[in-house]
Amino acid sequence: MIRYEEFVLDNGLRVYVHEDHSTPMAAVNLVYNVGSRDEDESRTGFAHLFEHLMFGGSRHIPSYDEPVQKVGGENNAFTSPDITNYYLTLPAENLETALWLESDRMLSLSFDPKVLEVQRKVVIEEFKQRYLNQPYGDLWLKLRPLAYQVHPYRWATIGKDISHIEEATLDDVQAFFFRFYRPNNAVLVVAGAVRLEQVKELVTKWFGSIPAGVPYERSLPREPRQTQARFLETSAQVPLDGLLKAYHMPGRFEEGFFAADLLSDILGRGKSSRLYRHFLKEKPLFNSISASITSSLDPGLLLIRGFLNPGVTLEEADAAVNELLADMAQHGATDEEVEKVKNQSEATLAFSEVELLNRAMNLAFAANAGNAAWVNEDDEKIRRVDAAAIQAAAREVLRPENASTLYYRAEAKATV
Amino acid sequence: MQLDRTIAPPYRIIQTIHFPDFNTIYLDNGLPLHVINIGEQPVVRLECIFEAGTWFEKQPGASYFAIKMLTEGTSATTSVGISAAFDRVGAFTDLSHSPDRVGIVVYCLARFLPEVLPLVQELIATASFPDKEWEDLRNITLQNLRVNQQKNSFLATVQLRASLFGKEHPYGRSQSEERITNLKKEEAQAHYAQYMQRNGYRIVLSGQVGEAEIQVVNKYLGQAVDLTLDQSEAVPPAFPAAIEPALVEKPESLQSSIRYGKRLFTRKHPDYYQLLVANELLGGYFGSRLMKNIREEKGLTYGISSSVVTYRHEGYFTIGTDVKKEFTQQTLDEIRKEIQILQTEPVGAEELQNVKNFMAGEFAGSLNTAFDIADRQKILLLEGLPADFFEQYVRQIHATSPEDILRMFNTYLQPDDMTEVVVGGK
Repeated sequence: MIRYEEFVLDNGLRVYVHEDHSTPMAAVNLVYNVGSRDEDESRTGFAHLFEHLMFGGSRHIPSYDEPVQKVGGENNAFTSPDITNYYLTLPAENLETALWLESDRMLSLSFDPKVLEVQRKVVIEEFKQRYLNQPYGDLWLKLRPLAYQVHPYRWATIGKDISHIEEATLDDVQAFFFRFYRPNNAVLVVAGAVRLEQVKELVTKWFGSIPAGVPYERSLPREPRQTQARFLETSAQVPLDGLLKAYHMPGRFEEGFFAADLLSDILGRGKSSRLYRHFLKEKPLFNSISASITSSLDPGLLLIRGFLNPGVTLEEADAAVNELLADMAQHGATDEEVEKVKNQSEATLAFSEVELLNRAMNLAFAANAGNAAWVNEDDEKIRRVDAAAIQAAAREVLRPENASTLYYRAEAKATV
Repeated sequence: MQLDRTIAPPYRIIQTIHFPDFNTIYLDNGLPLHVINIGEQPVVRLECIFEAGTWFEKQPGASYFAIKMLTEGTSATTSVGISAAFDRVGAFTDLSHSPDRVGIVVYCLARFLPEVLPLVQELIATASFPDKEWEDLRNITLQNLRVNQQKNSFLATVQLRASLFGKEHPYGRSQSEERITNLKKEEAQAHYAQYMQRNGYRIVLSGQVGEAEIQVVNKYLGQAVDLTLDQSEAVPPAFPAAIEPALVEKPESLQSSIRYGKRLFTRKHPDYYQLLVANELLGGYFGSRLMKNIREEKGLTYGISSSVVTYRHEGYFTIGTDVKKEFTQQTLDEIRKEIQILQTEPVGAEELQNVKNFMAGEFAGSLNTAFDIADRQKILLLEGLPADFFEQYVRQIHATSPEDILRMFNTYLQPDDMTEVVVGGK
């Protein structure tokens, strides 16, 4: 249970305060309601490029990191298809330093051409390092456009094509900033050893004079229900053949999300899951196999990912997985399995709320998604899922025609 | 009134920290249970810590396999049955291994502690080392080692520890294919029997811990008798330390992994805190001298850092980085140069103050949860440090002067005493 209070500034900035006086620290989380799904198809990778630019100095403050370290704080950020999130922790007495820094970069970046040049290079290197020079690094780059045909989730956060980053101009950057990085398109959470009145005063002082922007109305195309199985094959110099299967499922705060989430746990979470028991222990086709979900705000994916034992063919492994999934849809889960994954989910949720910063983030994500109160409803939603709901989820999500299957073949190493 | 955004708000520096104490209870059989009861979430972390690391091995590798086999089968329950039993209540387990000690850690909802404890007791008392699981674990360990041996950074760390302590010393030796293949199951099992099954151990329970949780720990872990409760230290073996530089050529690598280090001391040394400040300044954080010079100004690397590593009986200092091969010698020269500057020129007041602020804030921020606090308290208990060790930490860091920093670099960190390891090429 995360207790909080809230207020809104005249410029539309929504602020949530979670007091916790058992720690001397404060956590500040600022989420901007913009992710790679909001990008123009011909200018992808901008939300992520922005995350880098945000550390290159703001209008009145040349460096972001140094003042944070000076007051004993630590900070970081990340970008996803849905949001761009900035966070820091510091001694609660120095809360004002965090608000000073965050408000100045919300007011305006420095828009220094040198910063754009440096960060452009860094992002291109990051693209190479994480997506091209890693075994299976391009897996999501291949899978996304297979599973999504109209929704912008079809490109990765890093961008659809690195040329979009190479060609970004300072004008593009400024336009993006003033469209999305406005107080009325953000949620601020202040948590820890702070008092509501103090937070109100300081937030009003530093953020109150930042002008509001034109409200951003998101209207993204909804991915149509998939009615035909999709298939793609690729290859690279990797150690083992990989099998990937993605299935559409509800979004993070939509009806039916937790039934599909628990279904994925029954299939592929840990050593007692069905996929692990069947394909590592009983019939050892795989070297490793698991199931996971993307947890995106718009309808997401349930993903099964396995790497094959040498000597096993992809066709054989795929057929065996399909058979296991069909059995799941036909017969559903046992009561023991349902009880197990509900206990696991409850434990994961409780442990995720131990850290102050995680509580601040969870609160910010719920508020940004539509309703701060959702942050305390997951527990109850998980409890309400029963075997019937999981079987219904299996029948809908694991439909063979809902699958996007990727065979990732290991190429034989070129002999010199 | 117009707001002047160019002026930073006033700030305060952390001068003292509040550090909650352990509550220690002795179970019926004399085992110590250390409790940290903090937090609003209904969760606990149970740790059983055995003085049974590499230090105590009769055959290299025995301690690693002894702890990893703990969840692979008992006389009553199979490996699959054990993971199913933990999974059923949503509990997560972790088996930890270090040169000094090994441990089993369980994270679970507090209400499931009564179901988790009998299982933990069963593992500690009756692990049976089944043949199939032994073979599987050995194959997985070999596979992982082969993957790691492809990485220059892994090889460099292994080589540095071997160079500093000697490759047979418990702090200097590492896994090798030969050692893994030669180790007999009975040898790992004997290590388990002597140091885990029949030996006393410490229990640390943190999170939302009340009287009921303490009683249930006593009910299951407090009943085994005939445990040796003597925790006396094994006599440290005397091994010669090597300080020859090592160069491992990897013609196919694009990068070199560099390690630069020296055997130093434990947390009990009177200069420990000052050394930490000196280390931070040189390479301990993002704004350090090495990062500024070698990454930010020269762009030779993505990252470079230095650290102070302490074990129970010994410690060492190390600098580590990965660079493009052609920059190897230049990087080594720059590291030397940065140390020499710190040996001769006193650090400026502002830079030193920033480092102290950062260290104090980072430390306070690392005490957020019951688990964080238990981790710190454990160090005091296991290493036998004074109770005010961490209260001293912030005070001693702030008391460190520019003269202390000069003394640290001239006494302990002279470049000529350092062992240099390069994996890749020069």
